Amino acid sequence: MTDNATVDAILRALLADVLGLGERRAAALTDDSGLFGALPEFDSMAVATVLTEIEDRLGIIIDDDEIDGEIFETYGNLLAFSERKVAG
Amino acid sequence: MAADATEHQLRIDPAGAPRATVLIVPPLFDEANRLRRTLVLAMRELAADGFAAVLPDLPGQNESLVPLDLVDLDRWQDALAKNADGIDGPILVASVRGGALIDHRPAASAWWRLAPVGGAPLLRTMLRGRVTADREAGIESSLDSLQADAQTATLLLAGNALSPAMVAQLGSAEPQPVAPLRSVGLGADGIAGTPLWLRAEPGEDAAMAGAIASDIAAWSKTCGIS
Repeated sequence: MTDNATVDAILRALLADVLGLGERRAAALTDDSGLFGALPEFDSMAVATVLTEIEDRLGIIIDDDEIDGEIFETYGNLLAFSERKVAG
Repeated sequence: MAADATEHQLRIDPAGAPRATVLIVPPLFDEANRLRRTLVLAMRELAADGFAAVLPDLPGQNESLVPLDLVDLDRWQDALAKNADGIDGPILVASVRGGALIDHRPAASAWWRLAPVGGAPLLRTMLRGRVTADREAGIESSLDSLQADAQTATLLLAGNALSPAMVAQLGSAEPQPVAPLRSVGLGADGIAGTPLWLRAEPGEDAAMAGAIASDIAAWSKTCGIS
């Protein structure tokens, strides 16, 4: 099973890939770091790409109705959502 | 129907007679734009190594005058087969991501695929982008409602007007068997680099382009092409 430290690492790498953050900026993300609305690169297609990549890299399926705006407000919210999904 | 023969292509020739021609099949839709710069750098490397490299415009993409909603995967597969018919000498088809869904019809001596992907996740990402944009605009939509609409009407996804045929084909498309094939991913066992096709803002990576070119050249040699 994918533990939480692994989910965190996978998520940071994924955001670095999609948003072009570079390792340093990705590593510096904290729970309070703003995403959608805070990072100019994080547009609606980036949200969609992040969701599909989370599914692919964490081996989970995310349904439409599980997604609300709050998930993408901060890195902490996105991480908590991903950890919940992985734990099933 | 407009003739596909009018499509542009980017061709980079080596100094002398080419060892072989590498027919590049780009990723589909937005991903093609994000990777184009790096792919063209790889084409320059291939030309420096004695290959001709051809990157065709797919009908409805890039500089094509064909409306995107008139094309589907089947037409792209045919267009690539025709591109190959116009090339002298041995051909190696090199496709990336969704390019692997349309690369099997050309008469080629070998195939090379980088990070091939099924059509379903590509479609899912575009549908989700539309749902997210709709939500920002205060419009209710969902993956299900959009897919239901797509059965009878052209759907606008991330700026791409997709016909019912295109959406249906994308939803079930998988890379088809070809031989001989080298399929590589990113990472230590494949191409060193990052998935530039995912990047919200296009970047470029000359080192990755070099790795792509040398991997294709090595595969060409392995297949006895040159």
